[in-house]
Amino acid sequence: MNKRQKTNLRTLGQFFLLLSPLLAILVSLSAGSLELSWNRLFSILLHGSGKEIAEVIVWQIRLPRALLAGLVGAALSLSGVTFQAVLRNPLADPYLLGVSGGAALGAVAALTCGVQSPIVIPLAAFIGALTALSLVYLVAQAHTCSSHTLILAGVMVGSLAAALLLFLLWRAPADATRQAIFWLAGNLSLADPDWLSWGWLWVVIGFLLLWSQSLNLDLLTQGEETAADLGLHVGRTRLILFALAGALTACAVALAGLVGFVGLVIPHICRLLWGPGHRLLLPFSALLGSSFLIIADAIARSLYAPAEIPVGVVTAVLGAPFFLYLLQRKGGNL
Amino acid sequence: MIQVNNLSFSFATNEIFSNLNFNVNRGEILSIIGPNGCGKSTLLRLLRGTLKAQGGEILWEDIPVGQIPSREMARKVAIVPQSSTVQFPYKVRELVAMGRYPHRKNLLRFQDKSDLREIEQALVMTDLLPLAERLITQLSGGELQRVLLARALAQNSSVLFLDEATSHLDIDHRLELTELMVRLNREEHITIIQISHDLDLAAAISQRILLLTGHGKIADIGSAEKVMTAANLQRIFRVDVKVESNPFTGTPQIVPLINNSTHQLTGLKVHLICGGGSGTTLMRRLHVAKAQVTAGPINRGDSDEAVATALNIPLVQEIPFNPFLKSTLTTAEQLIEKTDILVVTTQWWGAGNLPCLGLAETALKQGIPVYLLAQQQEQDYTDGKAWGRIQQLQQQGGKSIRNEEHLLDELSHLTT
Repeated sequence: MNKRQKTNLRTLGQFFLLLSPLLAILVSLSAGSLELSWNRLFSILLHGSGKEIAEVIVWQIRLPRALLAGLVGAALSLSGVTFQAVLRNPLADPYLLGVSGGAALGAVAALTCGVQSPIVIPLAAFIGALTALSLVYLVAQAHTCSSHTLILAGVMVGSLAAALLLFLLWRAPADATRQAIFWLAGNLSLADPDWLSWGWLWVVIGFLLLWSQSLNLDLLTQGEETAADLGLHVGRTRLILFALAGALTACAVALAGLVGFVGLVIPHICRLLWGPGHRLLLPFSALLGSSFLIIADAIARSLYAPAEIPVGVVTAVLGAPFFLYLLQRKGGNL
Repeated sequence: MIQVNNLSFSFATNEIFSNLNFNVNRGEILSIIGPNGCGKSTLLRLLRGTLKAQGGEILWEDIPVGQIPSREMARKVAIVPQSSTVQFPYKVRELVAMGRYPHRKNLLRFQDKSDLREIEQALVMTDLLPLAERLITQLSGGELQRVLLARALAQNSSVLFLDEATSHLDIDHRLELTELMVRLNREEHITIIQISHDLDLAAAISQRILLLTGHGKIADIGSAEKVMTAANLQRIFRVDVKVESNPFTGTPQIVPLINNSTHQLTGLKVHLICGGGSGTTLMRRLHVAKAQVTAGPINRGDSDEAVATALNIPLVQEIPFNPFLKSTLTTAEQLIEKTDILVVTTQWWGAGNLPCLGLAETALKQGIPVYLLAQQQEQDYTDGKAWGRIQQLQQQGGKSIRNEEHLLDELSHLTT
């Protein structure tokens, strides 16, 4: 393949990527226990929302759900990219720094206290996630925030949260435990539709702010000292990046529980396809992440319809083999 | 242009520098040399402001380094680090473009059209144009070092810090980049501070040389002819060298006096009066030469004690930080009676170890040859008592010897 063909192929790939969330949403709208032909689906979409069962299902159940999956996928991929760059660690994912543990603890605490409110549980998860992340940051800051200290502190806070979580589950009544386990495996059946627009606003703002830090992310991949030598305010920038990535993760976790693998694998795939420069990596990861999760959710809903398997199972089953394949092909050069 | 006043710095409790004073002139090449671990890289990082000094001040054109905004600082000085770990597969050109960061006008790109020339030039200067599209994760150590240099060049700064920047390079690139440094310095008046282990090359291109001692003090600073003397190098690096003038350039050139024959002292009994680390290398070398070494008296906890214990050298010990007791000295005397040779390596004399000289005097009377290794009057803290007794020892037949190499030579003559 010559260079020109390669460039053409690459442009085509990027064009496809831009469209992929739309295609994924279409697939997701047609998937589920109610069979819909493509013709029927398009006519419903063109017709607008109405009172018919199929129309209600498409507009009020499947579309919000696809949009939620897209939101969560984008948020997790964005924060995965950020954590991997700032910690200079290819194994970093959005949950590495104790965020998952904190969020789970918050949500499960609310659940086991008998709270069922669709407003309170996401809030509790959000607060738990940010508390854990701040704790990790404060501990590591005492040692000038080397990435090793951050990761170790994150793992410790995560273990502590996990222990407390087990204790809560042990004490909780059986139905609360079952609910909590579903939440822990990732659950995209949106509790309250009002959260959706707020979530998207959060993700769009988070993306724009992160995107404005693209060059700083590039510098940080070269190590703190090099970044500082090139004129970057390392401490301040890192705090901003952690806050942004942490807020995105917390938002995703609050709305959908712990969906694994998206934040780890999507950044790697994008880096492999389009290089490590964050100016392109951030938007591409967000697009691919949202498409991936929309499709994964569609699979989760339709495989055992009308029952749903947890979406975390699908992302891991799709994600892990692909990641192993990449590892085998590229070795340490991920 | 850079002024260092009373600089003090320590890592935790480990003091690296105290009261360092020197300055860097605009437009010069200053080479920092000194033994491993003496703090050369630390000094560069202090000058750059990456590390904060605990005492004293560093002024860049009369402004304390800590008060200069980081982006402005990055436009003033570019750094070529010793090495760098690369994990993210950027292209060579992308990495070099990062050097434009302190000059950037665009939020999302390192370079504007106007920056492209700087990047291209940096790539050409470092002979990287053929590699521009390669991934940095696929480069060799030497190629990567050139990329780091190119990034620094793209920064277009008026000062360049190089931390052993040519150490991994082939001879052709090393010479080429040295030439480039000289040209940048002479033509574009770029001030260069470099750390170098290549003393000849440093001597050849530097206006001034800063020689650090192993303990973070300035041994000497000035022209290569002034600093790179055999005596200085012998004192700091503990090597035996001859300094000649390069027949082509006239700059000082170091010729190491390496003795090709390895010393064999099989069975020779040698006793060391040492302490404070003064006997460490000699014990090691005597051990390798298969001499039967004994040592003491030494305070427990002394670094010489650790070495002696590790090498199974019989030694007479004393309680830490105590002056030597009569009984200890008697035990040492008994050990010395049985030896063939007595060597005094102790460098610093105080009231505590002064009685050791008595042991040497007794040994001389018993007809045991006594060697006095590199003794100096400045290292006497007993108001001249020790130095007086050392001179007396010399009159009575104690032999002064300049360094370990000479001592080993002499000892091997004795055994053959």
